[in-house]
Amino acid sequence: MLLDRAVAGDVGALEALMSRHSGRVYRLAYGITRNQADAEEIVQDVFLTLVRKGAGFEGHAALTSWMYRVTTNVALNKRRGKRRELEVSLEEHLPTYTEDGHREGDRSYVLADWSSTPEQAHLSVETRKILENAIDGLPDHYRAVLILRDVEELSNDEIASIVDDSVGSVKSRLHRARMALREQLTRHFGPRR
Amino acid sequence: MTCKDAIAVLADYLESTLSPDLVEKLEEHLRDCAPCRAYLATYRKTKSLTTDAGRVEMPEEMKTRLREFLLRQLREGR
Repeated sequence: MLLDRAVAGDVGALEALMSRHSGRVYRLAYGITRNQADAEEIVQDVFLTLVRKGAGFEGHAALTSWMYRVTTNVALNKRRGKRRELEVSLEEHLPTYTEDGHREGDRSYVLADWSSTPEQAHLSVETRKILENAIDGLPDHYRAVLILRDVEELSNDEIASIVDDSVGSVKSRLHRARMALREQLTRHFGPRR
Repeated sequence: MTCKDAIAVLADYLESTLSPDLVEKLEEHLRDCAPCRAYLATYRKTKSLTTDAGRVEMPEEMKTRLREFLLRQLREGR
């Protein structure tokens, strides 16, 4: 196996291992920490642990799953203490309803549909900045689930196993995270409230 | 189904994991509710923008540092 050869000092095998997995580990680490230097440290930690751990993985899927779990945990630990999790800020970005279950808010705002404005506008530097700030502002465990689902495209079951939580909790965090981002993008694209 | 009920099941709807009964109720609500149609369209777009924004590449110089770091660690470990 590639890992065994890398641990034995085969440079080519180590490079193949890195080429196969380091991009994914970096993307997830950066997605959770939002910091390049932290993400680099995490990639080094994960690969160092891997080559020290050596064997013990039954196939590619087991190795990938281990990498996702370790990277997520290390990234969440790194974030811990760096910022306060303000659940209330998430609540501010969730839809509110009238007593009979209709959306609250100005009619032009609740009708704002910016989804079909030109793609170029969506990916502008300004839009990217707004989205990245919104992702950064999510509580850490919400952001981790969002990145695992919408960037890494893992299943809810896989994510539940990685973050050691129930599928119901994963789905709830994911939905709330997306709603919070949607709200902030709507404030940018849609009519002002 | 109210707007609140509809928005609560959008993620399951997009993943096609809603029961046929709920799909029917949701689609009936969407036909009559422009704000929820806008919500669904922008929710779906938010998801795809998040996917695009998250696809960051590891910088080349970082790959080089990682390679050198691991080779050093492997040498020292032997």
